[in-house]
Order: sequence, then structure tokens, then C-alpha cells
Amino acid sequence: MSETLNRESLLEAYRTMRTIREFEERVHNDFATGEIPGFVHLYAGEEASATGVCMHLTGDDYIASTHRGHGHCIAKGVDPVGMMAEIWGKATGTCKGKGGSMHIADLAVGMLGANGIVGGGGPLICGTTLAAKIRGDRTVGVCFFGDGASNQGTIFEAMNLATVWNLPAIFVAENNGYAETTSSTWSVACDNIADRASAFGMPGVIVDGFDFFAVHEAAGEAIRRARDGGGPTLIEMKLSRYYGHFEGDQQTYRADGEVQKLRETKDCLLQFRKRVTANGEITGEQLDAIDAEVGALIDGSVAKAKADPKPSAADLMTDVYVSY
Amino acid sequence: MHLAHPVRQAMHRNRELPAVPSAAPSEFVVGIVANPASGRDIRRLTAKASVFPTAEKANMIQRLLGPLGQLGVDRVLMMPDATGISAGVIRAVRTHHAQKLPPWPRLDFVDMALEDGAEDSATAARAMAAAGARLIVVLGGDGTHRVVAGAVPEMPLATLSTGTNNVFPDLREATVTGLAVGVFATGRVAPERALKRNKCLYVQVGGRRELALVDVCVTRMAHVGARAVWAGDTITELFVAFAEPDAIGLSSIAAMVAPVGRDEPCGAYVRCAGDGRSVWAPIAPGLVSRVGVAEAGRMQPAVNYVVTTRRGSIALDGEREIELLDGDGAEVRLSLDGPWTLDVGATLGEAVRCGALGGDAVRPPDL
Repeated sequence: MSETLNRESLLEAYRTMRTIREFEERVHNDFATGEIPGFVHLYAGEEASATGVCMHLTGDDYIASTHRGHGHCIAKGVDPVGMMAEIWGKATGTCKGKGGSMHIADLAVGMLGANGIVGGGGPLICGTTLAAKIRGDRTVGVCFFGDGASNQGTIFEAMNLATVWNLPAIFVAENNGYAETTSSTWSVACDNIADRASAFGMPGVIVDGFDFFAVHEAAGEAIRRARDGGGPTLIEMKLSRYYGHFEGDQQTYRADGEVQKLRETKDCLLQFRKRVTANGEITGEQLDAIDAEVGALIDGSVAKAKADPKPSAADLMTDVYVSY
Repeated sequence: MHLAHPVRQAMHRNRELPAVPSAAPSEFVVGIVANPASGRDIRRLTAKASVFPTAEKANMIQRLLGPLGQLGVDRVLMMPDATGISAGVIRAVRTHHAQKLPPWPRLDFVDMALEDGAEDSATAARAMAAAGARLIVVLGGDGTHRVVAGAVPEMPLATLSTGTNNVFPDLREATVTGLAVGVFATGRVAPERALKRNKCLYVQVGGRRELALVDVCVTRMAHVGARAVWAGDTITELFVAFAEPDAIGLSSIAAMVAPVGRDEPCGAYVRCAGDGRSVWAPIAPGLVSRVGVAEAGRMQPAVNYVVTTRRGSIALDGEREIELLDGDGAEVRLSLDGPWTLDVGATLGEAVRCGALGGDAVRPPDL
């Protein structure tokens, strides 16, 4: 049975989800000014998934992320101030301003990197979890991927290897309904990504990705199983993103009012607040205080990112090769 | 045979049958609710439950359509879905027509907006009742049947299990269920011969009232979370409408200490305790769990049984639905007036006795 969520855990969960939301809403607004270089793919709406999974992980566990990776980074413990600077292309960024949104990585906290290669995270997690198995420790690896990546050979190969080698890997398919602009009902041949698990000899479950509590329980069971030597699991999170595939996407492929309805009825933060305040575990004032703290944090991160220096020309030649 | 059971006969005599038109209506309509989410919850991970494939649900519906068409059902009204069941059935209908096989009923879909939740089954069931369906075939687990029964309490249901814990619905070949549905829906067998009334449980928590068909389980788990209950040591109280020793799921706990038949006019309760008498019970597929029992006894109908657990959650037919707060004052009541279900064996037995399946009246299904 998954661990019980105490008051501190609930506050931590809310703070993480709120930080992701605030971070993404701010990037959404600032990107429209044209000051942020490159592309950004926002995670707003999917916060419960990254948060509910990563709360079970330690600093020694690894995750592999996607092009939509800000939420995974924050949930795994990457400093949002450094992330904001990275997105603004500043020398103080997590990757010294050289990676940008799609390549934020911080190995110190077990974040293998956002990844511009769709489905690129599966083999990476097979690598870290094979290492864990050889070392004989109890660390695990989580591969986040989307419904588009669910059709990629790399993901199939990774799931196959994970079972063949009985790796402590968890595959989290964040099915937000669209691979770029193509509905998953058109592009995914089976009806649920989780149904593919049986073909790879692992359990597959479907979870409401808007519901933090459902995610937290399911992920807790899968991660416990992996730590105990039970092997890999596939979890399909049914959720949605609030913004386009990338910022600037006109989203003509979505129904009118689709996102607004989700925000009003299924939003993970809304649900969470309603439930924990209704049962008296947390007060609305406590959550409001977190909102204010997170708002100040993100305000500060943006101000700092704007003020910080860009990498110099000399930085072009550093961090190009790594010695092992 | 179910109808020979004295209690069942008494139950039939004492309670009014649903208002199914006996005269030939303008068309015979049957509804089908197939839950796309059934058979996919966390028990695939925490137990050894298997995935019930979407394709198989679509196949089961095709196996229903054959006998329904053969027996003269005019129209089937089906719940739409976005996961492939409807799409699979539509493809099959086109292929069937192209091959000029014996006709299936006309297939229509309920015009409804999908919410991707249990409310879809309820919405569809209400629309089917409004459209004059004489019966609804439900493909799902205990939870799906609970939702449909709650939405259309007097509508006869034909039950087919496609869920994880299969206590309420029949584990039966869909073709045979289709035959029984056909003879009932076309009036060949009367309701008093075809239908049986089930027990049910009502849970009252504050102003909220919920239905359960098999069991109400109170757990220490504070949140609804992933819904299923898979750890015996979290269970504090259990109330069952029936508990048979060969059942899978939470009702099996009661079956080990206070078994109650499906047709008996009572239920049972169990209060659990870590230091109580231990029983082993198959609470999920592949999962036999040890549960401590402090007290067990019979539930009488129309008596309120107080939930003594102060904080936790309440699972209805195996799925946590209600978060229990301090001072909610939850109560559980057994009712003998639960949903009507089609007794497939009794219906087909009566059909044979009255010749409804012989001679020139119908041809054998050619699927």
C-alpha cells in the first residue's frame, strides 16, 4: 500500500504543482513579448503527473523527460530560478544558457534532461536502471513520454529491454490527447497506451492524470514494485495540456471551449484545493500563503533572468566535450 | 433454477415488476452500455488482474447483435465512446451488411457529450430509458452496473462481466445472454418469468446517498486516490448485500465468516481488527489477503447500520468513492428492492418450455 499523505506531504505537493503552474503561466506571458529565445512547450495542466510521480523519488533516482519538460524538472528538484535563466538564455541558467527550454538537465538531482528527440528518454532510463541493477542498489528510473512518443520504436525497444532485463524502470505515458496537432485517437492504433504493456510483459494501468491522489497512489505502487525487484511498469496518465504544442500554436485542431472546460472542471490544483480543504486537512489560508510565496519566487526568477548576463563568445568553446 | 427458490418466489410476489409493455410495441429497443474503462484499474499493478481488451468488448457486442437480430429486436441503442468500442462495432456492422448476413438490429448511438467518466454510463442509460428501451445490456464490472442501476433503478439489466471483480454481473458467453435478451425484449417470455430482483445497499453520508450492489467497504485510506482497495489491513468495516464463498473481491471477506446467499433476504457486516480472528480472502485477482475480524453478523433490511470509522474512505463495490470526514455520521442500509436483472437461465428455460426458440418462429443464430 502506498504511503499515507500527511499534512507536510500535501503542502509539498501543492507547492510543487503551484510552482509548475506559475512558472508555465509566466513563460507563456513572457514568450508573447518576443524576448525569450527559441521554442517553449508548456506543461500547464499536467502538473499532477510529474508531482505525484516525483514525490516518491529520491535524489539518487533518475528521470528522463520530454520536450515538454519544465514540470518534470521542477518536480525532480531542479531550481526554478536557474531554469528561468536557462530559458532566457542566460549564463546563470541551469545549463549556462546553452540548452534552453528543451535541454534543461541537472544530473545533480537526477534529471537526465528534457529531450528534443521524441521517445529519446526510454533508452536513457534503461541505461540508468541497468546501472542500478548492476550496482545492486534500490534506485529506480522514470521515463516520461507522450502519446506521440508512444508510437516510437525507441519506446518499444526500451520497454522490451526493461522487461528482458527486469529493470527498475517506470514508463509514464502522459497522454495529453495530441501529438503536436494530431489527435491520439488518430495516431495511436490501440485505444489505450497502457494496453500495450501486456505485449511487453509488464503491468499497465490507466490513471486520471488530473487527480494528484490517483497519480500518487499508482506511481507509489509502481515505484515500490520496481525498488523491490518486481520490474517495470507502464502507467498511462490521461490528462491534457492547457496551451498549444508550442507557444504560438493556434490550436485550430481543438474544440472551442475544450481547455476552458478542463480548467473549470478537472484542473489538478482546483481539485486538490477543494478536497484537502473540504476534509479539513489543510486550510485555504495555508494554500493562499503558498500561492503568494510561489508568485514571489517566480517574479524574482524572471527579474533575475532578465538582468543576468548572456553567455560570452568565449563560452562557445566550453562544455562542448566531456571527459569520462 | 432460480425461480424455484422459495425466497425468490416470495420476493417476486411481494414486489411490483417493472413496467415493461406486454402488447407489441411499434419497435423493440434494447440498450447497450459498454464501459470503456472497465478492467483497467490499478489492480493490474497491485494484483494480477488482467486487461479486458477493447476489441473483446466490441466482439461481445457483435455476439449480442446476432441473436437480437434473429429474434426480432428492431433497434439497439448504444452508448458512444472515444476509445474504440463503438468504432469496432460500426466497422463490424458495415462488414455484416456487405456480406448480406442475417440482419442485425438497426444500431444507433445515444446523442450525448462524453465526459470520459462514470457519468457517461448514467447519461446513456437515462437516454435509453427515455427512448423506450425494454432492457439495457451492461458490459462492465460491479462498478459499472452500480452506476447504471443508480441511473435507471427500475430498468431491467442484462449483466455481462468485463471488469476486475465480477460478483454482480454474469460471467457468461454474450451470445447466450443475447438470446435471453431477445426473447425477453420481444415479449416471448414474461417479466415475471425472466426477471429477478436483487438486493442492494444504500450509504448515507451527510446529505449524500449512494448505491452499492455488492459491498460497502470502509477503509483507513484517507483519499479516494486510485479508487480500488487492495490491502486487507486498511479495511475497517465491510457491509455486503451478499457474500458467497466462491466470490472474488471484498465481499469474500464476509463470505469467510458470515456467508449470505444472493437470494437470502438479509445481508452481512464485518468489523475488522488487527488482533481479531484472521481469515484469508481473495480480495482481488491473484491476491489472497489476511484480514482480522473482530465481529460479524447479519444485516436486516431497512435497518440503519452505523459506520464507526471516523476518518477514511468508503468504497462502493470495490471503488473508493467517498472521503469520510470526522462527524459525517455515515450509515448503511440493506434494501431488498435493488435493480432488476435478467435471469438468463430462467429466461431461456421458459423460452424452451413455451417453444419460443423452436420451430419456424426463429432460425438459429448464424453468426
